[in-house]
Amino acid sequence: MELDTKDRLSGMIESFLFLVGDEGLTVKQLTVLTERSEAEVNVSIDWLRLSYEQRTESGITLKLFGGAYRLVTKAEFADDIKRLLENPSPKSMTQASLEVLAIIAYRQPVTRVEIDDLRGVKSEGPISTLIAKGLIMEKGRSEGSGRAILYGTTDLFLDRFGLESLQELPPLQQEEDNVAGDTDLFMTKFQEAFAMDDN
Amino acid sequence: MSYKVKLEAFEGPLDLLLHLINRLEIDIYDIPMAELTAQYIEHLHAMRVLQLDELSEYLVLAATLIEIKSKMLLPVHEGEDFDDELDFEMEEDPRDELVARLIEYRKYKEAAISLKESADERSDHFTKSPENLTEFGEMVPSGIEESLNIFDLIGAFQKMLDRNRLKAPLTASITKMEVSIGEKMDEIMAILERGGGKCDFHSLFDKGDTPGLVVTFLSLLELMKRRDIIVMQQGNFDGLTVAFRREDE
Repeated sequence: MELDTKDRLSGMIESFLFLVGDEGLTVKQLTVLTERSEAEVNVSIDWLRLSYEQRTESGITLKLFGGAYRLVTKAEFADDIKRLLENPSPKSMTQASLEVLAIIAYRQPVTRVEIDDLRGVKSEGPISTLIAKGLIMEKGRSEGSGRAILYGTTDLFLDRFGLESLQELPPLQQEEDNVAGDTDLFMTKFQEAFAMDDN
Repeated sequence: MSYKVKLEAFEGPLDLLLHLINRLEIDIYDIPMAELTAQYIEHLHAMRVLQLDELSEYLVLAATLIEIKSKMLLPVHEGEDFDDELDFEMEEDPRDELVARLIEYRKYKEAAISLKESADERSDHFTKSPENLTEFGEMVPSGIEESLNIFDLIGAFQKMLDRNRLKAPLTASITKMEVSIGEKMDEIMAILERGGGKCDFHSLFDKGDTPGLVVTFLSLLELMKRRDIIVMQQGNFDGLTVAFRREDE
């Protein structure tokens, strides 16, 4: 019996995703591979994802991390899966690296000097660690003098931190942002007055 | 030295300051400068163990704290006689800039915590390396031409490292391989059997780690004690020969 075309597309996508494993596939790649439109692919992906989530007897689900769809095990089985591992190593990052990464993620593209200023401490070490881990990369040079390197996050960062895209970053506290802005304004006035005093 | 461990947990002067503010339960918008400065400098004294370049960053903030503290000690109406407008501006709190920096830093410090949480959530989802289909034919490259740079290379390298980690045997327990003296004695007797009743002393020590060599040596001593073997030397500095001890000897 001929399969329904929609079912066939879902099955096709599932088989591709099964084979590519952690490489994952972007919607764009899936449209090329399935020879279908982006809209059709998106519908099938949504349908697949929903059916995985509904099927409690399935240990696998479909996730979008860093722009690529992947078949992954469901979180609820994480502890069971860890029984396969002798020494499950939580790939812990240092607090310094996490802080630098947070600043880069939210303020990218950003220079090292800006990061140093924000943290009140030098950040060269964490930056090179993050580059080596493939989580951040150079995103060009700043316009200002010295043409400092601008840093931004990579797709691997999105994957490792379980984010679909940068828009998915949890928002920073906005209220306090405003307060900080206000005090900045006060400070500028204050400094202007100070400068006047000097003259 | 118990101090050292505790203090190195700070990610710089702002982190230390935030820690003090939390510990002293200070309102960040109304910092008692005298108390905070005293506490901060007290911590700096305990931090002499730090490297000079790290310490310098802490000292810059200490200077700032003292500057703010001294500004706050100045009577605010001092400028009254000279310039009314300036007087108004001077009433601005000298702590504002510091507070703004602290709040900005705290924002990212908290964002770092939530980032770590999402990384932990992500790590609950396991996946597998791509299937190797080369036995069925050549794989089509990803299908989309992309321009690659050094950072793609780093990313690929990092992935490769992770995969190799996964490729390692799922359970790898490192156990000491222990050979008992009894087993070693049997082994030595078997070697002698094969060598027609004798063998070179040194050949028994060709392989094995230190404990293994010690066991071999002890086994030889035990065999000699039991009068099963004999160790002979032709002349001074000649090689030793191990042989079965003949019954008639």
